[in-house]
Amino acid sequence: MTSIRLRLLKWLIGPILLINLAGASLTYLLAWTPAQLAFDQGLVDAAGALAARLRPGPGALAIDLPQQAEQVLRADPVDATFFAVRSDGGALLAGDADFPALPRGAGAYDAAMRGEPVRVAALATTAGGQTVRIGVAKTLRKRQQVRSATLRALVLLETLFTLALVGLTWFSVTNGLRPLARMRSELNARDGRELAPVGGADDVPYELAPVVSAFNDLLAKVQAGARSQQEFLANVAHQLRTPLAGLELQLEWLGARHGGDPDTAHSVRLMRLSNQRMIRQVKQLLALARAEPSHFEKARLEPLDLAALVEESVQYFVDEAAKKGIDLGFQLAPALVAGDRFLLRDLIDNLVDNALRYTPEQGTVTVSCGREGADCVLAVEDSGPGIPPAKRELVFSRFVRLDDKTTGSGLGLAIVRDIALAHGARAAVEAGKQGGALFSVRFPALS
Amino acid sequence: MHVLLVEDDAVLADGLSRILQGHGMLVEVVGNGTQADQVLQRAEVAVAVLDIGLPGIDGFEVVRRLRARGSAIPVLLLTARDAVEDRVRGLEIGADDYLVKPFATPELVARIKALARRNTPKPAVLSLGDLTLDTAGKRARIKERVIDLSVREWAVLEYLLQHGTRVVSKQQIIDAILPWGEDLTLNAVEVYVSRLRLKIADAGITIRTIRGFGYLLEPST
Repeated sequence: MTSIRLRLLKWLIGPILLINLAGASLTYLLAWTPAQLAFDQGLVDAAGALAARLRPGPGALAIDLPQQAEQVLRADPVDATFFAVRSDGGALLAGDADFPALPRGAGAYDAAMRGEPVRVAALATTAGGQTVRIGVAKTLRKRQQVRSATLRALVLLETLFTLALVGLTWFSVTNGLRPLARMRSELNARDGRELAPVGGADDVPYELAPVVSAFNDLLAKVQAGARSQQEFLANVAHQLRTPLAGLELQLEWLGARHGGDPDTAHSVRLMRLSNQRMIRQVKQLLALARAEPSHFEKARLEPLDLAALVEESVQYFVDEAAKKGIDLGFQLAPALVAGDRFLLRDLIDNLVDNALRYTPEQGTVTVSCGREGADCVLAVEDSGPGIPPAKRELVFSRFVRLDDKTTGSGLGLAIVRDIALAHGARAAVEAGKQGGALFSVRFPALS
Repeated sequence: MHVLLVEDDAVLADGLSRILQGHGMLVEVVGNGTQADQVLQRAEVAVAVLDIGLPGIDGFEVVRRLRARGSAIPVLLLTARDAVEDRVRGLEIGADDYLVKPFATPELVARIKALARRNTPKPAVLSLGDLTLDTAGKRARIKERVIDLSVREWAVLEYLLQHGTRVVSKQQIIDAILPWGEDLTLNAVEVYVSRLRLKIADAGITIRTIRGFGYLLEPST
């Protein structure tokens, strides 16, 4: 995986380091060359001063160099100073006998003397018709001191500059990448079903805009895909309703007509059970498709009384409860919420159906609704086996069934949760007073 | 009772007509809106059960034409769709009831009977099990024995019998037997029902309590 941050840092910090290094070298050269020249000039001046003391005498050339003057020449607390004045033939007129041989021309050069590197300034002059070579040399100790002081200062300064630059670069890159980080946290905060476009139009930086827009196009496609899948599901469910209704009626007639023959009656009963399961599952698929956020329309919300909605389904619940001899009771108080009529009926149907399904024969189921403070609560309590605390979140997931003995699609409670979410309500389950399960859905009340 | 069934799905139409015939109805089946429109111009149809999604002119249009002719024949719409707009539209253009496929047969039968009752005078005699209520003569009998009922007890029992074996709420009972807005508590209804239970104990029917909600009549087992 490549990192934009690393790439930027590599391409910013690398060149900055190189340029800094070049700058430091140049600074060193600029500082060192004049110092070198000044030192050399000192040597040349000393050689000049010696030349000025040559006294062309009759016959032999002499140099007027009293002890005192020589001491002045040699006086240096750090470096040792050497000199030699030689005739063209090589005879020493004054100075150190072991001074290295002097070249013909003038100039400054490096040499060694008495086991130590020295810098030599040489010049040739004519005195009394003879050529005289003069050399002045100094050890390099002071030069080295100056040089290392310069280097130390440069290295320290350059290190500080480099650190400051790297820090600034790091900060700037991080700062520049902040919109990306913001977008990442925005995307991370979403759940899988939120497909709205990312980034408010104003705070997307120019460079990021094409990516954001491409990404939003993709989101739109995904959303359209999800929507058409839901529509397909809804269409299939609708298409299945008429044939299933027809089959149910034919089976009902067959059962009534041939109920006297036990084998036929048994077979017809099984067929009807299967058919009713299919009818139920088609209903549930449709309910799931309707509860999808991409399908849910706020425009369909209307003020609805939960008590009235429960009453609409009472006949069906009573018939279902009678099949298992379950004592079904109600405690209905007015509870006004903003809801989608069909979805809330699906929610109520599934919640009660679930309770009837998992309550043993001769058990008790109580459906209640009413206002509790700022909430409207719909609750269904049963005398079934209850749900262990560890599984109370799990039961609202799709296709989760806690018990293999009961036929169910595993969709009912997922539908309840989806519809509750779509309405800004919360579905939960706890232990009831009779040891069974107490399912509740808490809606914001409509005042 | 003459029921016109308009349904283009042959299997459903066939099954439904047999079931309804089993409930003593005279069923005429047609498969499209145009035929339905023609049949409905004859007056003898008691209730029309009409699918919305029909070939040719749809169920909505059939109802619209029916009402445009000033006919009051009760119409029950059947649909495979349950969009709320359909329901609202159906009721707006003059349909009387609405049922989504697939439906429970007792539900459909009950609604057809309710619609038919709306247009015919109340039957003079209601009966279930061994109990008969002669509404004209205000006389209640178990087999041949006449039983004595107060006015309120009579009203409650009559209302229950009108609904056959379907659940009615206490509030529905109060609303039905007190047309003049008199005050009656839910407890009072419970008192009438418990007295009725004693008086019809041997009629072969029981008044079952739906806890916290209401009652329904069922034949004793």
